[in-house]
Amino acid sequence: MNNRIKEYRARLNLTQEDLAKKVNVRRETIVFLERNKYNPSLRLAYEIARVFESKIEDIFIF
Amino acid sequence: MKKTVFAFIVAALVLATVGLWIFSSSGHFKLVDIAGFGIIILVVAFAVFIGIRRLTSAKRGEPAEDELSKKVMRKTSSLSYYISLYLWLAIMYFSDKLDYETHTIIGTGILGMAVVFTICWLIVNFTGIKNE
Repeated sequence: MNNRIKEYRARLNLTQEDLAKKVNVRRETIVFLERNKYNPSLRLAYEIARVFESKIEDIFIF
Repeated sequence: MKKTVFAFIVAALVLATVGLWIFSSSGHFKLVDIAGFGIIILVVAFAVFIGIRRLTSAKRGEPAEDELSKKVMRKTSSLSYYISLYLWLAIMYFSDKLDYETHTIIGTGILGMAVVFTICWLIVNFTGIKNE
């Protein structure tokens, strides 16, 4: 599974730390997500999509 | 936060025990003893590293533990458990062939388990977890 978190984050001018705080995870988790080294839970995927005001399927590509 | 404080207390107790061991002994250490001290210090350093990471996260306003760190810990535990079984099997095999005292063998096994856990954590933490 790939994702477009980095791209969406850049659009909103958010740092990894900002996004981590918004979705209540550690910054390392965002780093791992962006490097495609971790597949998030449905809850986290939903939280990220909510921050970016997008659909889950737009951010996470199966 | 409680877990972090607990980890620091355990690390301090381990160091205090090692210090007590060194001061109460005659001072003539074998190579095995020195290696044991080295491994204990490495494991304590690892615990302190984890504690500092958690404190840094807490300072940044992030949770000390999240779903990734919990999964890393779960995978590390299961992986190190399997490897430790083989470690004990190897120790049992070699204990018949080598002439070591029982407490040395058990101590080696416990330290070995700690080292296996540390190595597994480093591997899992830096390679990441995929649900595929």
